[in-house]
Amino acid sequence: MIQKLRIEGGLINRKSELNFTFNGKVMKGYQGDTLASALLANGRKLVGRSFKYHRPRGIFTAGSEEPNALVQLRSGAFTEPNTRATTAELFEGLEAKSQNHRGSLEFDILAMNDLMAPFLSAGFYYKTFMWPKKFWERFYEPMIRSAAGLGRLSGLEDPDHYDKGFLHCDLLIIGAGPAGLIAALTAGRSGARVILADEDFLMGGRLNSENYEVDGLPGSEWAKQAVDELRSMNNVRLLNRTTIYGAFDHGIYGALERKTDHLADADGKPRQVLWRIYSKRAILCAGSTERSIAFGNNDRPGIMLAGAVRTYANRFGVAAGRKVTVFTNNHDGWQTALDLQKKGVGLAAIIDTRDREPVHMLSGVDIHMGARIVNSAGRKALKSVTLANGQKIETDCLAVAGGWNPNLHLSGHQRGRPQWNENIASFVPGEKLPEGMLVAGAAKGHLTLGATFADAQEMAEHQLEDLGFKPKTGDTPLCTDEDYQINAFWHVAESTQRAWLDLQNDVTTKDVRQSQMEGFRSVEHLKRYTTLGMATDQGKTANINALAVMAELTGKSIEETGTTIYRPPYNPVSLGALAGRSRGKEFRPIRYTPSHQWAEENGAEFVEAGNWLRAQWFTRRGERHWRQSVDREVIQTRRSVGICDVTTLGKIDIQGRDAAEFLNRVYVNGFAKLPVGKCRYGLMLREDGIAYDDGTTARLAENHYVMTTTTANAVLVFQRLEFARQCLWPELDVHLISITDGWSQYAIAGPNSRALLEKVVDQPEQISNEAFPFMGCREITICGGVSARLFRISFSGELAYELAVPRRYGASLMDVLMKAGEEFDVVAYGTEALGVMRIEKGHAAGNELIGQTTALNLGLERMVSTKKDFIGNVLAKRPELCSDDAVKLMGFQPVNRRDVLIAGAHFVASGNPHDLEHDEGWMSSVCHSPTLGYAIGLGFIKSGDKRVGEKVLAVSPVHKQSIEVEIVSPHFVDPEGVRLRG
Amino acid sequence: MAEYVLQAQTLLGGYDQQFGAIRLREITGADLISAAIPQGGEAAIGKELKRLFGCALPSIGKSVIADDVRIIRLGADQLFVLMDERQSGKIPDLKEQLSSVAYLTDQSDSWVMLEIEGQDVRLALERICMLDLDPQTFAIDDLARTLMEHMGAVIVRTSEDRFLLMSASSSALSFLHSVVTSVRNIS
Repeated sequence: MIQKLRIEGGLINRKSELNFTFNGKVMKGYQGDTLASALLANGRKLVGRSFKYHRPRGIFTAGSEEPNALVQLRSGAFTEPNTRATTAELFEGLEAKSQNHRGSLEFDILAMNDLMAPFLSAGFYYKTFMWPKKFWERFYEPMIRSAAGLGRLSGLEDPDHYDKGFLHCDLLIIGAGPAGLIAALTAGRSGARVILADEDFLMGGRLNSENYEVDGLPGSEWAKQAVDELRSMNNVRLLNRTTIYGAFDHGIYGALERKTDHLADADGKPRQVLWRIYSKRAILCAGSTERSIAFGNNDRPGIMLAGAVRTYANRFGVAAGRKVTVFTNNHDGWQTALDLQKKGVGLAAIIDTRDREPVHMLSGVDIHMGARIVNSAGRKALKSVTLANGQKIETDCLAVAGGWNPNLHLSGHQRGRPQWNENIASFVPGEKLPEGMLVAGAAKGHLTLGATFADAQEMAEHQLEDLGFKPKTGDTPLCTDEDYQINAFWHVAESTQRAWLDLQNDVTTKDVRQSQMEGFRSVEHLKRYTTLGMATDQGKTANINALAVMAELTGKSIEETGTTIYRPPYNPVSLGALAGRSRGKEFRPIRYTPSHQWAEENGAEFVEAGNWLRAQWFTRRGERHWRQSVDREVIQTRRSVGICDVTTLGKIDIQGRDAAEFLNRVYVNGFAKLPVGKCRYGLMLREDGIAYDDGTTARLAENHYVMTTTTANAVLVFQRLEFARQCLWPELDVHLISITDGWSQYAIAGPNSRALLEKVVDQPEQISNEAFPFMGCREITICGGVSARLFRISFSGELAYELAVPRRYGASLMDVLMKAGEEFDVVAYGTEALGVMRIEKGHAAGNELIGQTTALNLGLERMVSTKKDFIGNVLAKRPELCSDDAVKLMGFQPVNRRDVLIAGAHFVASGNPHDLEHDEGWMSSVCHSPTLGYAIGLGFIKSGDKRVGEKVLAVSPVHKQSIEVEIVSPHFVDPEGVRLRG
Repeated sequence: MAEYVLQAQTLLGGYDQQFGAIRLREITGADLISAAIPQGGEAAIGKELKRLFGCALPSIGKSVIADDVRIIRLGADQLFVLMDERQSGKIPDLKEQLSSVAYLTDQSDSWVMLEIEGQDVRLALERICMLDLDPQTFAIDDLARTLMEHMGAVIVRTSEDRFLLMSASSSALSFLHSVVTSVRNIS
């Protein structure tokens, strides 16, 4: 297909011809084209279907404000719906498809919706589909959902990569049009660190779209030279293809840089980068967006904004039509006619709503002053427009110029409200701006080039002086200042046909009227009731006109009517970019234990514990069920010896003259008198008296302790200790540092644990029962001189030790222990066996420390010191927490030994209803005890310690299960503690 | 000779890769001692550093190189003393000498250390490091504790285009992956 509407000129590279497809049809364009300009060059008018009525739609704008030309870009898993053809940069092999039609784009079955328009007005689904009630969920809603939406997702995982990053600058300049460029030049020359960002791939803004002359150069050439100068400055960072999408607190801005969207293949590089920009100051130079005028059937393909028609002609060398008509309410519309005539594009007529002298005399062009268009014709492409006086004008493109709206969106991201400016008949930024931001140029309402340059220079100087720089301002560029005059004109009241305000959401003037009649008059209600200003374009070409119509209907001014709150993102940001790298396994870091590789090689199943991966159990050949592995690990450990990697437990090195006093204040039990070379179990409470972590702390020297915490709470405990040390008791000389990662630690448990250890420690006599009794700790050497720490502590209830070596030896130690233990039939055990043994022993763990239980509930009340103060001491004494019938941690075993217990079951006395009123507590941990041969559990039950032997029901309505259980001591195995002291 | 011998293992197997102009390598064999300054003990440790290395106690966020030893001031009461493998014989001595003025903790095995060097190194780091690494604000020998990809990290600028990155040893692979990804994403 030839590019039949391609005309001379433009900023495209005609030497680089590109092939692309639209709905499978091969077309050609040039480097520097957007998909939209290339489609227009190929004479393609119809590019999509509207949201609700499935009306044929064409390209309306030349920028990110595009409401109509949304396409499905690329194919397969790479496909992305709702891509604006007006911002999609053309590349070789680009594949685009139209969207939102059933059947082909030309013959869309759902176009019948248009015939049903009287029934589908704003809020129709709130009023219809009400009967019969049950049809809503089963029929109506699925039907509406299936019809709704624009593009389609692939349903496949997004194969693209995304990244994030952080940038810093003195001055962020948002937009690289004339205002942005002059501000950046001023700041860059002054030595400030500048970031200049623009969403277009070609910086220059309207300088590339107009026939301006600046300093004797074409505007686009001046822009190019300015960009070249900025690029040569080390202190300036240019970010093209980058949208600043949000203004956040403290000068932080969100930016989306499209890195490889303009390439056929990203080559494994991130497609988009989401930047967080820390700026000291910012200048919003976002320019302005043109708006339309609403009249009957004003949504046909070929009806475009006048400034866009100019852009396609001047920048892209494309005529939007062969016989163009201009419909305007301001001087700028005439510029389109002048530019097109200069390019040799045919003009049919100029229709100006203002009753005044023509702004220019153009030969061979019908000029209608004080006129209005009431209707248009042409189903899939514009053929004619009809004036209020009945005159019909044959035309294939209507360029509508309704005036320009400053792009003030970011100025309102912190709830700033814009102000009405009658001179330009639009809103301008209000006084409350995001901290550090100034607005310049067209975004502030200066809609002419000279005023824009002057204002942006002044704003840049202001910001630079504020930052302590001496501005090096050059001469203000010489240019002619256009004459911009406008008489506000929003819609043609004489039109009897539907007149579109929001093209993307199919909102017409009638919908606004209906909203007003039904009481939805506030601008926020108008938006929600009609869907005005929603979706990808956020009403950039629609909102102000709709507000004006509402203002007219309510008799208020537009300013009184107001706008909705502007919120990020300014333009759509893909979810992939928001996620960045945080996908799949990269969602968070993985912490590996030193024995990880050994575990992998020995059949381990892993479980996430915090960020750690821990071995749950080790499957051996012939084991078909996890419980077979776990039972074996428990039995073998209790019979001989087992090894478990416990590196994940938090380890905090505590030193200082006041370390003992510090520990005394954070644990409920006393630590001041703990002798050197001893460990002690300790319990920590929150300020509200609730237990939150437990563990053992060893005293290695007079002023040196090592605390262990649970795996899950390691970071929390460290944070709370730091808070206590720095904020609660700064007078104490205490110093903390984590050594969790520095030491690899293994639990060695079972009757043969000492015998095994004796084979690896350098001085076995150091660990005899007499020399190293239960709860002892000492620094030793093993395997010929490697420093190690040995703790005689037991979670399993067996004779047990924990042996720690510097991390570098951790992996090797696992091998050594397994080898040395061969003669004892040593077994590695995972977290499941660890859990089984601690339940058998009656030790509380994460299931019991749930943020609702106290020392009393846990049966640890005798540990709580009454002779000292500690965190949580006061509030733990609240009467509600100390009542006589407080729940107590107890053991539970099924009366019928074959029953399997369920964690989370609630205890109810036999015969009582299974409801909250009769709830007596809950089962917190359960397991099959291979030692006892039946299921056992730990749980909390009211006055449990006084009810040993009583039978209650463990009820789980979710599982439809009710099991009779007997209340027993929580210590199922070796309640006297003979084994661990042996 | 003991019957059982423990083999020391590096975290990343001595990773060393060149990506265009950027070199990324694991620092192995270095010793890292944390020295917590006792309350009111700043002068004493300052004096000891002067005696041992001829340098003053660096201010917070600064490091000094003296005698091939880098002294890193992380906080009001926290110093790291980093010695490369060439200094390894001196560790016991150093511990002995500093133990009277500071609370020492061996941190050698707690951290993975990466050195990243090259012309575009800042472009790579800006993908994971939220700090402003411009030389005006983060000069040579400056350091900071920060977060990279949810992992706690220490970053030290050791020359114009070279940085030392430290993070927890248990997540060393994730840390390396995040830095490599950053380098690959720009190269």
